[in-house]
Amino acid sequence: MSGTAIAVTELRKSFGPKEAVAGIDLEIAAGSLAGLVGPNGAGKTTSLSMMTGLLRPDGGRVLLNGMDMWADPPAAKAIIGVVPAEARLFERLSGEELLEYAGRLRGLPAGEARSRAAQLLDVLDLTGDAKRLVADYSTGMRKKAMLGCALIHNPAVLFLDEPLEGVDPVSADTIRRLLTRFAASGSTVLFSSHVMELVEQVCDHVTIIDKGRIVATGTTEQVRNGKTLQQAFIDLVGSRANDAEVLSWLGSSSS
Amino acid sequence: MARLLVQLKLRLWLNALRASSGAQIAFIFSVICAAAVAGGVFLLLSILGSGIAAADVTTVIFSVFAVAWLILPLVIFGLDSTLDPATLALYPLRTRTMAAGMLAASATGPWPLATLIGLLGVTAGLARGALGVLVALLAVLLQVLFCITLARFVTTGLAGMLRSRRGKDLAVLLIIPLFAVYEGFIQTVPKLLSEGALTASSFGGVDLWLRWTPPGLAAHAIYDASTGHLGTALLRLALLAGIIGVIGLLWIRSLGHSLVTSDASTRSAVRGSALPFARFGLRGTVAARFWIYQRREPFALMYWGITVVIILVVGVRAALTTPNFLGGLLASAAFGSAFVGSFHANVIGMSGPGFALEATSLSSKRALRAYFSGHNLALGAVAVPLLTAFSFGLAAVAKRPMDGFLGMAVDLAGIGGGLALANLFTVDAAYPVEKRAGSPFPRAASGHVGDALFATLLTLLGVGVVVIPVILAVVNTETAPAAIRLPLLVLGAAAYGLALAWAGVQGAASVAEKKLPELSQIAIASKL
Repeated sequence: MSGTAIAVTELRKSFGPKEAVAGIDLEIAAGSLAGLVGPNGAGKTTSLSMMTGLLRPDGGRVLLNGMDMWADPPAAKAIIGVVPAEARLFERLSGEELLEYAGRLRGLPAGEARSRAAQLLDVLDLTGDAKRLVADYSTGMRKKAMLGCALIHNPAVLFLDEPLEGVDPVSADTIRRLLTRFAASGSTVLFSSHVMELVEQVCDHVTIIDKGRIVATGTTEQVRNGKTLQQAFIDLVGSRANDAEVLSWLGSSSS
Repeated sequence: MARLLVQLKLRLWLNALRASSGAQIAFIFSVICAAAVAGGVFLLLSILGSGIAAADVTTVIFSVFAVAWLILPLVIFGLDSTLDPATLALYPLRTRTMAAGMLAASATGPWPLATLIGLLGVTAGLARGALGVLVALLAVLLQVLFCITLARFVTTGLAGMLRSRRGKDLAVLLIIPLFAVYEGFIQTVPKLLSEGALTASSFGGVDLWLRWTPPGLAAHAIYDASTGHLGTALLRLALLAGIIGVIGLLWIRSLGHSLVTSDASTRSAVRGSALPFARFGLRGTVAARFWIYQRREPFALMYWGITVVIILVVGVRAALTTPNFLGGLLASAAFGSAFVGSFHANVIGMSGPGFALEATSLSSKRALRAYFSGHNLALGAVAVPLLTAFSFGLAAVAKRPMDGFLGMAVDLAGIGGGLALANLFTVDAAYPVEKRAGSPFPRAASGHVGDALFATLLTLLGVGVVVIPVILAVVNTETAPAAIRLPLLVLGAAAYGLALAWAGVQGAASVAEKKLPELSQIAIASKL
């Protein structure tokens, strides 16, 4: 690892009176496989959208491999790949056409885009469905196709928003292996997830965000602090423990 | 259960009305339309009189209502979540109980009430005497019940299909013949009525077979009771009730089946292995994507189909009614190109979350110019041959084939202007769209109906304005030799259209470069 791939300073965003991201600072080293975890509505998607140029921040700075996303968006966007949370791309293209389209949008020559698309479809186990419309893909297949689109130009930094949401274990394993291999090559991955086991297993860097603020960040070992990541997360974010008192009627012993 | 589902339907309405002013306006508009239909049909039926010709017309009107009830739920499927039995599948309900509840829910609302009130016009028209009125009341109730049961049967039978991708595609395309029938109806029926070509006696032949359909049985039962044939009237009503019972049983069976049957999935593969034109740089790549969408996306096909219907309706009407055919030909070309523009005035919103992929790749002004020009190339590749073919076709029908070049001139200028306006509205007035559960049609998201109306109307108006110079050139050069006039007009209009399209691309790219994140958020907010 060398240098900082993602440097976020005082990044903030409000929607009306609600402060979605309240001035976060984040630094991810190049070659890291980093996880961004937090409860629903914590600000994960908003943060990732601002880091990838899809949502204009109210304030703050995002540097990706030294390039300022909001000062020079074309330069910064050229080195990133993005897998958004919404698993809907161009539904009326086939998987093969979609990946080729993504490659051509990224400036790859037509032959190279086609060749890389075929290789990615193979690795993502989508070759058999390459000629089917994306509209007919399952959630897992869509996520894999989106990952293919994000990787086809070999980005230096890859952002993924809930890449394993609604994905079956086999597809999840394919995605996980690809991400691990990608990061091992020196590229950087930052993904948001609710799956603590996955983050704990594959990430070398973890950031926990709650109510638009970062409550913990560091290596996975530092954040876990001797506990499981799940327990560390609950300790930091808090949980409701009064359910049993309220739902006294619930259970086979009651009626 | 019936009461609960009726309450559920009312609650869904109230929530929708509270959620947005657009929903309130739509509801008020729907109520006004329903009231107009109720009043209009009641009046029409009450002034028909009591003769056999009146019975024939009543049969036709009853049949029109049955067909409307049959077709409209297919188009508006998903607007009323109580319509889809799948939403109730998780609950421990017996099929018959659920059927009764869904029937009651279907009978709740302004349109069932409008149907009932409108058809009750027969009590003041066809029906004569106390027995006639009594049988009329029964017949109308059975007719309304028939309409609702038939609609439920068809909707339930097709619910599975409408939840599959291919089924929704077919439902979207269904709008084209429906729109054509609607346009044909409003263009021809008032004209025929005003000319006296459509009278009660016109339906004499039709009634020979319509009288044995359920709506015919209801109408003729009233006529029979009013003319002293009570036994025949009651037999007709009994037969109608039997038919309703059979449809009801079939519906309950279909309902039971649909609750435990998975949706049809589509496994079709596409032909070809590469994006066409992708070797022609970014512009060619984007053009390839939009070109593919013109063929595979049912909304694109629907838009082109409606454009054709509009061209035909305006052009044929002009050919039939305008002494100066040229005016109609030019109007049809202007309308056609205006709709090409207005149907594509929200390309980013209609692209949906997929636009995020494009937005992370195309952020320089040059790339955005390639994006919009690629879009325009794909649309132009469809619009130019389509519209010019219709201009020449209409000119040939009017036996003035050379006038096709005049229509073509307006087509070329109008398409250029329409695409320019579409590009500009796409970036200046973008809005998210959404498909509600079970509905095949995307519409402006809640709170954005006004935006959609604004972009559509201004695009239509704008194209009307930009084609004025070409129309003036056509009109003011009538005496010039055709060999000089026609090539000059077509080439001049083509250059003018290209210049407009070029200006639209430049303007849209400049705006998009500055607000790409905002446009991305609008696209991501679309639920397609």
